[in-house]
Amino acid sequence: MTVGTGAPTFVLALPKGRILRELTPLLTQAGLGPEPDFHDENSRKLRFATSDPKLEIIRVRSFDVATFVAFGAAQLGVAGNDVLLEFDYPEIYAPIDLGIGKCRLAVAEPAEMVGEDDPNRWSHIRVATKYPNVTRAHFAARGVQAECIKLSGAMELAPTLGLSRRIVDLVSTGATLKANNLVEVEHIADVTSRLVVNRTAWKTYPEEIGGWIERLRAAAGAI
Amino acid sequence: MANGKDHQHLLPAGLKDGLPPDAAFEAAMVERLMACFASWGYERVKPPLIEFEDALLSGMGAAMAADTFRLMDPVSQRMMGLRADMTPQVGRIAASRLKSSARPLRLSYAGQVLRVKGEQMRPERQIGQAGVELIGTESAAADAEAVLLAAEALKQLGVAALVVDLNAPMLAVSYLRESGIADPAPIIAALDRKDAAAVKELGGALAPTLQQLMNAVGAPAQALDRLASIALTPSAAAQRDRLVEVATLVQAAAPDLGLNLDPTDHRGFEYHTGVTFSLLGRGVAGEFGRGGRYVNQAGEDATGFTLYLDTLSAALPAPKPARRIFLPRGASHDAALRLRQEGWVTIHALDNGAEDEKEARRLGCSHLWRNGAIQML
Repeated sequence: MTVGTGAPTFVLALPKGRILRELTPLLTQAGLGPEPDFHDENSRKLRFATSDPKLEIIRVRSFDVATFVAFGAAQLGVAGNDVLLEFDYPEIYAPIDLGIGKCRLAVAEPAEMVGEDDPNRWSHIRVATKYPNVTRAHFAARGVQAECIKLSGAMELAPTLGLSRRIVDLVSTGATLKANNLVEVEHIADVTSRLVVNRTAWKTYPEEIGGWIERLRAAAGAI
Repeated sequence: MANGKDHQHLLPAGLKDGLPPDAAFEAAMVERLMACFASWGYERVKPPLIEFEDALLSGMGAAMAADTFRLMDPVSQRMMGLRADMTPQVGRIAASRLKSSARPLRLSYAGQVLRVKGEQMRPERQIGQAGVELIGTESAAADAEAVLLAAEALKQLGVAALVVDLNAPMLAVSYLRESGIADPAPIIAALDRKDAAAVKELGGALAPTLQQLMNAVGAPAQALDRLASIALTPSAAAQRDRLVEVATLVQAAAPDLGLNLDPTDHRGFEYHTGVTFSLLGRGVAGEFGRGGRYVNQAGEDATGFTLYLDTLSAALPAPKPARRIFLPRGASHDAALRLRQEGWVTIHALDNGAEDEKEARRLGCSHLWRNGAIQML
């Protein structure tokens, strides 16, 4: 946060992409509507004003929202619990389930593999994913060592091109999996977007941060 | 690495060299903290760096087992642990060598601890600690004394905008156990993250009360009222009442102290049994320290706190550099002594020849001793 001579300014970190569209009515309802430039994809600005003079918005990648908030560079943010599960930062609180950006984290494999192999016999498998920590923990819980190949996108290519036979990825409608001849075989977690808050910021500025949490909670309930 | 010699300078992850002026600043900070603790009647103890593992990690020390470096003692052929926290050591001293000293026993300590791995947010593996333990009392006044002493010590160091976050980590644990939850760990983990969605999912019929507990946060004015109105099971209510009592005592003694209540905060309070607290600064990442109530190895009620010197020295304003004066060869010994007594740092020339003024500047002096007088450069 910027602590200057005047009142401190706080930062809300939002993920780029599809969540933003679902989020905008909620922000407006809570009195935190961003300036018009925010919706301009071509704008070179990185920081945007909101209708609350004490709060500004930054737009970053969804994984970076958690990092900005954990390190206190942003005091508030919106992140999916997939990201929170992956990093498990002790400095992040997730007080509101915003109920938007619904999808699930799942294991998928090529359709022709299904029924062929017996998961009970696995001791080691290879998985392409954006979520190596979640994936390792998921398989470790049943005694399987998962060797993860970290990708940043287009996980569905991995099985077709022989990078790995299985993937762990977000599934929304399942259309992308189907188009790539993949089948969802295991469910890891349901995912929704959460309001995330930096622990120290909340505790040291309880009135400001608490106030925004209350407003966003009311807005999330109303929409 | 371009130059093979660079490897010689590389330190293991999480370790660093303290350089001037930071190393001196940290040492001075410890002295001031210890003086403040002493003025409240806390007497210093000095436990060893390494102890036998079974003693170090027994009782409350067990919480540090995963963080502790081990090595084999070639003399006794027993396993030793390098301390990762000094509180269990002070507990051991109180329970053994000082067991017949009058209670309540007030002890202080300062030293370095080492941890097997750094945390995500705190990558340092060697951390300087300074703290106190107040042993052999169950009173709420003791809980308040720990908070007030920590606040006074930090204020004397020059920490601005301190906020003390008060918690009752056993409150939710007691509530869950008394409500028939055999394994409260998953719900406690969700509460630690204030993960409203997971608390709702895992909490079942208990979820509304847990949500109320999560909402009873913030400045005492609002949080205390909210907290008081929650219907709780008997030992959970006792935890809550103690938290309210301690907050009230602290507020009465130090009305200007920034206080925040967060009853469900549990993480990092593994061996604690009652009211705990974290010492935070506005705009400061990390904690200045933390403390709270626990039961030591001998089963005695105790409370105390630990301050982290790395967070403190990073957050405090840099000390004013001392005035340095350069003394050319042949300057009188008495004159030099007088200057030092007046607070000057004297830098003596060791060689003849170099031009005095140039040499003085090169060695970071602002003044020069010339013809029996102080001359500014």
